Amino acid sequence: MTAHRPAPGLVLEGVEFAYERTPVLENISLSIPAGQFVTLLGSSGCGKSTLLRLIAGLQTPDRGRLLWNGAAITGTSLERGLVFQDYALFPWLSVVDNIAIAVGKAHPKTRKAERREAARHYLRQVGLESAIGKYPFELSGGMRQRGAIARALALESPLLLMDEPFGALDPVNRARLQDLLLELREAAPVRPTIVFVTHDIDEALYLSERCVILGAAPGRVLADLGVSFARHANRRADRQSLYNDAAFQSLRESVAETLAADTLKRLIAA
Amino acid sequence: MTTIAETLALPSAALAASVPPESVPRRAPESSPAAVPSGQTAKSPLPASSRILRKLEPFVLWLILLALWFAVAHWLPLGENPLIPSPQATALALWQSLPELWKGTLASLGILVPGFALAVTLGVASGLVVGISPRLQRIFFPFARVAGPVPPTVYVPYAIAILPTFQLSAIFVVWIGAFWPIFQNTAAGAAALDARYRDNASILRMRGLEYAFRVVLPASLSHVFSGMGVGLAFAFILLTVAETFGASAGLGRFVQYYADFADYPRMVAGILYTGFVTWFAMTLLDKLKHRMLFWQR
Repeated sequence: MTAHRPAPGLVLEGVEFAYERTPVLENISLSIPAGQFVTLLGSSGCGKSTLLRLIAGLQTPDRGRLLWNGAAITGTSLERGLVFQDYALFPWLSVVDNIAIAVGKAHPKTRKAERREAARHYLRQVGLESAIGKYPFELSGGMRQRGAIARALALESPLLLMDEPFGALDPVNRARLQDLLLELREAAPVRPTIVFVTHDIDEALYLSERCVILGAAPGRVLADLGVSFARHANRRADRQSLYNDAAFQSLRESVAETLAADTLKRLIAA
Repeated sequence: MTTIAETLALPSAALAASVPPESVPRRAPESSPAAVPSGQTAKSPLPASSRILRKLEPFVLWLILLALWFAVAHWLPLGENPLIPSPQATALALWQSLPELWKGTLASLGILVPGFALAVTLGVASGLVVGISPRLQRIFFPFARVAGPVPPTVYVPYAIAILPTFQLSAIFVVWIGAFWPIFQNTAAGAAALDARYRDNASILRMRGLEYAFRVVLPASLSHVFSGMGVGLAFAFILLTVAETFGASAGLGRFVQYYADFADYPRMVAGILYTGFVTWFAMTLLDKLKHRMLFWQR
């Protein structure tokens, strides 16, 4: 083993992935330092969810390497939690039992009562105390995604992967959960690294410190932008004025143009 | 596997996303509920007469059959010991045979319950193991495709010859008849596990028994219950067939015994009673299914 310690964080080196000979991802190289909030932004079919699945270890790349804190990613790990767009909770278990499973994984030596108590704590944190004894089918979409976030918190993963977690929600719930995510991240004792997949430009610019734009067919990095808006401490009180901010608008336009140019190129090529 | 949709996505998807969704014009309520004539809309209650009629619908066919039975027994010249005994004679025979039928029920359950319980235990356990592992599927499914459809009744004489007591051989035959549908349905359900549940369990690092019993089993429970339904029907068929071979008591034995003595009122009473017991067992299973699958709306 080498003497120097690798920089903590996520490293992707020349990652390629094809589905039945159709290239999905082409030569993706990224380095994400620990603690950073990165969004992967791209249109449908750009392979951004596939990239997230590779990082989670649900699939293996055809070529290239993925490293988390210097170690190669082979298979899933509790170090890397994934929040799905839907179906994050098992429908046959009550909400509290769903979270308790994750608590039990993070702390295998705890007793059942302790796990449930911890699960209740996480549910209170995401504002779901009213749903503790309920089943997922009794909850609205927004409440279910709160449960999914609670489960991700309970896993205590230092790397949090989120696959369009708010994609199926109405705008009001979406904004609420975006703010909840930012609050929870700020309140965390150790800030988790977050890789957040979305196709919503506003969401990407609002949430993250860095926005990686992916082109489609095959998926590749079009642009890698630092985003400064996330550092505005009072942005939540002022979401509308941020949206009206000239710098925000010009960045949004240039991101939209980048995505549109890529789409146009593919249309011409087709 | 979930990437098919992604790779097939049309290039125009990004452009389409910017088009605002078509606004649906809101329809004004057509009229106040009080103005709607009763019985016209789904929400307004039906008039009392048609509500009562609707409640009676499930019994219509029963009443017709019963009337036909009365008519046939009353009008047709069927002789001294009719093959179609009158409803009154059958009811009397049923009443008089109740103690014997109850004893027969207990004897039959002594075969059915252990045989079916063993089939459920082994069928679900092995079905889960095979359904989870693609390798075991490749080993077991070709065998199951041949062994499963063998009509289990053909095992009855052999089982009676091989096993020391009649009860043991009957339990074996009930077991083998119920086992295959339960095994095959469970294995198929486990093999068709929704990829989202599998991914979810993988992210949570659930494996082994925890994966099998907290994820795969609940997810394939509706398959398991359809297997159990078919298995229970088979179990009753095999039970009554086996009993006609060598039982000293039991439901199938009761019918066979009085048929041998040409006591048709008792024989028909036994058939009706067996039908009732089967219906009761099936209803119990159905209730259990709805209870356990409460989360599937």
